[in-house]
Amino acid sequence: MSSRPGERRLLFDAVVGVLLTSVLCALFWWLLNSMDKKWQWESAWSYRVVLWEGWLTTLGISVAALPGSCLVAAVLVAGSRAKLVSVRWITRGFVEIMRGMPLLTLIFIGYYLVFTQQRIADVLAGLGLGSKMFAGIALLSVFTAAYLSEILRGGLDSIPQGQIDSARAVGFDRPQVLRYVIMPQALRRVLPALAGQFVTLVKDSSLLSVIAVGEFTYQARAYNSASYSGLEAFVILGIGYLLITLPIAWFAHWMESRFRYQM
Amino acid sequence: MEIRAASLTKTYGALHALDALDLSVSGVRVLALIGPSGGGKSTLLRVMGGLEEADGGSLSVNGVEPGSKAAALAWRRRNGFLFQQFNLFPHLTAHRNVTLPLEKVHGRSAEDAARTADECLDRFGLTGHTHKLPAQLSGGQQQRVGLARAIASKPEILILDEPTSALDPEMTAEVLELIGELAAAGQRIILSTHEMGFARAVADHVALIAKGKVAEHGPAAEVLEHPKVELTQRFLSKVMKFGTPHITGM
Repeated sequence: MSSRPGERRLLFDAVVGVLLTSVLCALFWWLLNSMDKKWQWESAWSYRVVLWEGWLTTLGISVAALPGSCLVAAVLVAGSRAKLVSVRWITRGFVEIMRGMPLLTLIFIGYYLVFTQQRIADVLAGLGLGSKMFAGIALLSVFTAAYLSEILRGGLDSIPQGQIDSARAVGFDRPQVLRYVIMPQALRRVLPALAGQFVTLVKDSSLLSVIAVGEFTYQARAYNSASYSGLEAFVILGIGYLLITLPIAWFAHWMESRFRYQM
Repeated sequence: MEIRAASLTKTYGALHALDALDLSVSGVRVLALIGPSGGGKSTLLRVMGGLEEADGGSLSVNGVEPGSKAAALAWRRRNGFLFQQFNLFPHLTAHRNVTLPLEKVHGRSAEDAARTADECLDRFGLTGHTHKLPAQLSGGQQQRVGLARAIASKPEILILDEPTSALDPEMTAEVLELIGELAAAGQRIILSTHEMGFARAVADHVALIAKGKVAEHGPAAEVLEHPKVELTQRFLSKVMKFGTPHITGM
């Protein structure tokens, strides 16, 4: 008998869940159908290859920029903790400039100032990295790294001195202290913020369309203007981005519960 | 143990934690540092343990200069250190807290480290708690894990910085008892403590540290029962005023 209140609560919870979901779905459906427009999903279907290629490009950019941004962030974190004050200040300035500018500005300035500079372009082309896609990945990595480095720095600073003392006392050298004691605890603490930043990275890649990188948004707009379709392209875009971002969020939640511990 | 400190100095900003401290003892098995809080006991232990570099003067412990950067890491690996606030690694189980340093610092195999950890944790009555995280253990249990971690590598000297100050009387008794057993088994120990009865029972040498200097030092019975220096007399009469009810009978 003692489980009755628990069971009733669970049932109530389920009913509320179903009701709320139905209401939201109905509302969305009503909005879609009350528009003064005929949906043309057939034309979207005929552009499926264009859209699919765009989605794959966005996936590719995300997959490359994710470790790329981590790499740059690691350099920035090291810079912000350097012994030399000048290095710390320069790192600080770089991070603040990156964080203070809209990504759109950075993409324009970065692309036309750096990646189209003849010598740099020649060198990159020689390395087989002359594509706009590489420029996009690099710019996105640097931009995201500025945010990541601040998240990581906060995480590292949050580990109490006692942990570092204790790690040194058992005989760990500096890299070991970082690897076995500080990083595992700091990463666990900043995981939600990191996941948020990675999701943002995926969405930010849509801005690379302004330098004509053939990613998802760019392709969707191409389809949009070629077929005179309206909102269809954006509905497809929304779903396409969610297909990449939701797994990241789920993975982050799984990691959080996997590495849960109390301080 | 042989400890030689001459004009040992350590400052934190304007604070002289160690103020030209001199100490010379030899043939000591267990050295207890007593004295008022903020007097420099912890700093002296941290310098002796190779966790902190002195600003001036000289220090040698068993012929090693733990204060020098070059020797500090090797010295830390030879000794064990226990903190007032336990400082276990919160993301690792009790067992892993002990095995990780054995594997990564002392190059022991995983099986070998696990066996040693089991022995140490067993010895301190932690069977059945080995796979818990620190947050799932009581303060006394955490400190016993800390003790197991500190002695697992068979340290030359075990350094204990107020090991029971964060524990309630019952847990204090159980931890002190274990430290007493280690001392009886021949473990060389340097500790700071506010438990005068414990210092009297376990230490063979006592030093009173105040204002960054050694006010008085000598055999435990002598310093604690017949203090010569006024500072020591005042300190002891203050801490003994209400007795020390939770002393193990050793």
